[in-house]
Amino acid sequence: MTTPVSAPASGPVAAAVSAPRRPRRRSRTWVGWSFILPNFIGFAALTLVPVIASLALSFLDWDSYSTPRWVGLANFQRMIHNDTFWTALKNTAYYAVGHVPLTLCAALGFAVLLNQKLKAVRFFRTALFFPYITSLVAVAVVWNMLLSPDQGPVNQFLRAVGIDHPPGWTTSTTWAMPAVIVASVWRDLGYYMILYLAGLQTIPAELYEAAEVDGASGWQRFRYITVPSLRPTTFFVLIMLTISSFKVFDLIQVMTEGGPGRATLVLSQVIYREGIVQGRFGYSSAVSMVLFVIVLTITVIQFRLQRRSER
Amino acid sequence: MNRSNRLTATYAVPKSKENVVKRHLVTTIAGAAALALLTACGGGSSGQAAADGPQTIKVALWNYATTPEFKAIIDGFQQANPQIKVEPVDILADDYQQKVTTMLAGGDTTDVLTMKNVIDYARYGTRGQLLPMTDQAKALDPAKYSGLKSYELEGKYFALPYRQDFWVLYYNKTLLKQAGVPESKLQNLTWADYATLAKSLTKGDGQAKVYGTYQHTWRSVVQATAAAQSGGDLLGGNYGFFKDQYAMTLDLQKSGALLPWATAKSQKVSYNTMFSTGKAALMPMGTWYAATLLADTKAGKTKVDWGMAPLPQRAADGKTTTFGSPTAFAVNKNSKHADAAKKFVEWASGEAGATAVAKAGVTPSLQTQAILDTYFGLPGVPGDALAKKAFKPDTVVLEMPVGDKSSDVDQILTEEHELIMTGQKSLDDGLGEMSKRVKNEVG
Repeated sequence: MTTPVSAPASGPVAAAVSAPRRPRRRSRTWVGWSFILPNFIGFAALTLVPVIASLALSFLDWDSYSTPRWVGLANFQRMIHNDTFWTALKNTAYYAVGHVPLTLCAALGFAVLLNQKLKAVRFFRTALFFPYITSLVAVAVVWNMLLSPDQGPVNQFLRAVGIDHPPGWTTSTTWAMPAVIVASVWRDLGYYMILYLAGLQTIPAELYEAAEVDGASGWQRFRYITVPSLRPTTFFVLIMLTISSFKVFDLIQVMTEGGPGRATLVLSQVIYREGIVQGRFGYSSAVSMVLFVIVLTITVIQFRLQRRSER
Repeated sequence: MNRSNRLTATYAVPKSKENVVKRHLVTTIAGAAALALLTACGGGSSGQAAADGPQTIKVALWNYATTPEFKAIIDGFQQANPQIKVEPVDILADDYQQKVTTMLAGGDTTDVLTMKNVIDYARYGTRGQLLPMTDQAKALDPAKYSGLKSYELEGKYFALPYRQDFWVLYYNKTLLKQAGVPESKLQNLTWADYATLAKSLTKGDGQAKVYGTYQHTWRSVVQATAAAQSGGDLLGGNYGFFKDQYAMTLDLQKSGALLPWATAKSQKVSYNTMFSTGKAALMPMGTWYAATLLADTKAGKTKVDWGMAPLPQRAADGKTTTFGSPTAFAVNKNSKHADAAKKFVEWASGEAGATAVAKAGVTPSLQTQAILDTYFGLPGVPGDALAKKAFKPDTVVLEMPVGDKSSDVDQILTEEHELIMTGQKSLDDGLGEMSKRVKNEVG
């Protein structure tokens, strides 16, 4: 009502310029949101909400059926006094200490080997990646058969080369964990090898050429060019490996079910047994919170170290 | 004037109007779909609850295709009650327990639930998720119903058993004949006799080796046998009563008459393969295995000539004590057809249901002479006196006593069983550890 009086001519112009601007900015925000939304909804519904619920559940006593009961720190107290929890924690650490460096070294080694111009290099790359996409149950069953104490080919070979008392592998409390680690390294190395191969392709060939001109040996080139250039890849592989090691469940569940006794029982199995099997979701959530804090702490430490070494 | 201008500038394009209409349409359709979904979920079939008209009840069960007694019961019941239609809800056997727990927690209305084991039954019953059937249970004769007592929860019953499995000793008739052992010898076997016999039946080497006996990797083979026959308490926390049974088993393993536990476990050996291919001459196993043998023989998968004898005992006093577990049907508290569902449960546990179960080659809970005759009249079932004696044990002890600590104790006993059987712990250490852990971690 007032505008036509004050500025009859500029009115429509101003409207055309200023008015749509705000909706456009808003609509841009909405477009942005709409791009994130599908992913975010999935993340929120399937990860974020359950994680928060799990945090809350760790202070409750809940069997998924009756009304949850607040128990404060009782779940954590029970955990501290529970022998099985400590056994599982030790086993998880043992597994990670074996699995992470071995997989890392094997993946790097094979990546460097298969980055050369070899005959049938594609075949070998595929062959090494194959375990990763093979059904886990099949992998576990075959490894169990290979490592069978009496009739397994591994022990038959060991006997043939003169070892009279080869280890009982998955039936021995001492050897079950090494057996599981070997199987899991074999399974995982293909995936991390692909990551390293991608990393290797990004190293400029000039660096090697220059080093060669300077008379650097193969080992020196690997030590002073390849390894430093791969640092971002190594960092990523290390983080992913650590997380997956602490979360390990499937392979152990199928191969040994945590046995013999509790020799290969890991934390995620305790979580599964207490929660899904026994229906004690409070206690199981408390254990998973501990696992979460452990993985988080290790990851944060790794990030810190990485940042320091970048400086 | 200006306002209309503004409007024109922003909206007045005919195309966008079309868009608005379209958008509305989409919202409406989506809303309608959501509404339809909601009503479909929440509404249920309350309209069908009329007592007289044709009704459909749903029965939660497992592995419908390979568990013949379910079909036998359902077909028989529908024939006897044409106004009630029965619809099986097939669940994978391994997932059954978790699936039913989740269904009940979510207020599912599946009318009849099969109680796969007594421990789960006790959980559902005490949570008030099942309809009481105390009157119906009290009307049954406990002397004829093997396993009925296992379903009593503080004086109430929430399920009626239709099936009762217990352990017997299977034997390979051909291998026994070759060794010159008369079958009558198996009539009154002690565990010591069993061990001697198993050693004498062992022959051959390498791939051709025939083991005298096969004991599967389950802890029950040793532990539940010992508990049932010595009167020991599996939940008690003192496991000295396991000792004789373990000593005998470990000795058999050492002597080579029994496939080593470690091999059986790591190779995931199937007990059916061991027995039906003649790799083992004797095998203690549950009565359910007879149904497998009958079906496999019929399908031409095996030619093994098998028989059943009573489970060996601690003493040769002629009394047979074995262990086993019953299976029952119960009615869901949320059932919308409770009367029809109860009718189904009663029918299945009754004479007609038991006959149908026996005809399927499975051991019914109700045991009368007529039903035993039905079972032994089946083609392929060994009908000799030995098998008939095996089928009439004096006492059947529940495999695992019901209690809120049963599953925790089960876990500990399983873990320590592995360590004893693989020789990772000496027998005494293993038994000591069992008692210690059960007292500390569960008690």
